[in-house]
Amino acid sequence: MKALIFIETKEGAPIGASLELVTAAAALGADADLVKVGEKEGVLKEDAVVGAVAKKAAEGYDVVLLAATPLGKLTTARIAARLGAGSVNDAIAVACEDGKLKVTRPIYGGTIREELCVETAAAVISIRGGSYEAPASVPEIAELAPEAEEGLAARVLELLAEAGEAVNLEDAKVIVTGGRGMGSEENYKLCEELADVLGGVVGATRPVIENGWISRTHQVGQSGKIVAPDLYIACGVSGATQHVSGMSGSKYIIAINKDEEAPIFSVADLGIVGDVKQVLPILIEEFKKIKA
Amino acid sequence: MEILVCMKQVPDDSVEIRLGKDGQPDLSQAESQGNAFDTYALEMAVRYIEANGGAVTVLTVGTEDDKACLRNSLSVGAAKVVLVEGSGTDAAGTAALLAGGIKKLEAENGAAFDMVFCGRESTDYIGGEVGEILAETLKRPFVTDVVEVEPADAKVVVKKELESGYLKVESPIPSVFTIAKPNYDPRYPSVKSKIAARRAKIPTVAQSELALEDGALNAKVSHKAFLEPPKREAGVLVKEADAATAVAKALEILAADKVL
Repeated sequence: MKALIFIETKEGAPIGASLELVTAAAALGADADLVKVGEKEGVLKEDAVVGAVAKKAAEGYDVVLLAATPLGKLTTARIAARLGAGSVNDAIAVACEDGKLKVTRPIYGGTIREELCVETAAAVISIRGGSYEAPASVPEIAELAPEAEEGLAARVLELLAEAGEAVNLEDAKVIVTGGRGMGSEENYKLCEELADVLGGVVGATRPVIENGWISRTHQVGQSGKIVAPDLYIACGVSGATQHVSGMSGSKYIIAINKDEEAPIFSVADLGIVGDVKQVLPILIEEFKKIKA
Repeated sequence: MEILVCMKQVPDDSVEIRLGKDGQPDLSQAESQGNAFDTYALEMAVRYIEANGGAVTVLTVGTEDDKACLRNSLSVGAAKVVLVEGSGTDAAGTAALLAGGIKKLEAENGAAFDMVFCGRESTDYIGGEVGEILAETLKRPFVTDVVEVEPADAKVVVKKELESGYLKVESPIPSVFTIAKPNYDPRYPSVKSKIAARRAKIPTVAQSELALEDGALNAKVSHKAFLEPPKREAGVLVKEADAATAVAKALEILAADKVL
């Protein structure tokens, strides 16, 4: 079996979720070629990727793997359409059974999983970050020229920046997330402080984004980022399915909530029943001592 | 402008769906409704034609039961709705039926729809593939996650939502866009428009009336099984009268678990 892996880069470096695809391909027993795609001014990134990867894949690959990032998820089905192949977005496991690809994906916001079988000779699959371990070493990555059809495609006019810094939640080792239970924008800053102490990044639930306490780039959950850090600290987070499905792949979860019945405790390795406004300042001081 | 909006009827996304005793998703507590992103697409389309003229057509692939979301669409600004009878076994099949329906309507109208809108994903299966495959099938310019559309001579300029920030993109028409959540909510129907929609006859198109390519509906991906996701074991719960004691206990557990 031959696999083509599309490697997405951020500031020139491959992202973690893309590198994990090397492990996924190995699990399928496939020989993998890694490619990244250059950019071209005025051309939508996805148009360039779809054109270049579909052209390369037509050289005779059995499976094309992409990371289930926003870019991966909106190119997977398009590449498949050009190849006449079956596609699955946001897979969490792939396996080879009787010569066919068996793929598992979450549906209904993560409360149910569905097993699918790709019936076509070739398959294009995007895989959610954290589903496979990072490989021990990174094979060579070839660069493909961007391919976009002139005339037919939409043209990028300008990038409209948004207040709030870029944040890499997907590759973070530690994430401290604040939920509605933080009470105010002022209190939410305690999460940022704790994240700083631990060298992590700060996450947020949907209500926090809707309240405008932090920009939407920090949102963790089904409608935000799917994350799987080594340590996830949920502060004042109730644990709605929408949120839990985006973070339940974390290695170790700490939850702090004053409501003992909060669903977040059912997924936490360590739960602290208490008021975040009292617990967090002490926790921050103690972690500072440990880290010093 | 003639805008076509693709709409899927899905179970209410505010209800948590779990597997029932029969191993199928238990939808008994969730009423059917138009997929949230598709209703944003409809609202965006209706606002566009209110400002610039034209008409909105809504297309659904499904059965008699799926007519409800088309009736609702009529009550909130759609001029015309059509049900394509059938169901795609996978995203490619659904896209093929939508493309077939669109081509049939365009042949009748004598012109292509200027814009085809799809929600960015459905809230039930969350595949996010149908709009993508539809754009490839129709071979039209394609922009995803659109939150604003403005006319610009013979083209349109759209605002595309990114992970951080937005892109201003110029697109030729006819084109296909997937729609993300704009900064407004879909309107509610008035009593009058609701009654009128209830009485409206919903035109249906049979699968046999579509000019589909051979094998267009062959399953590329087939369903095997529904599974219960593995449950994460709940760990230790620390509950103390004061926060300092609770943190001290928690740190002991973290040390024992070798987390820090």
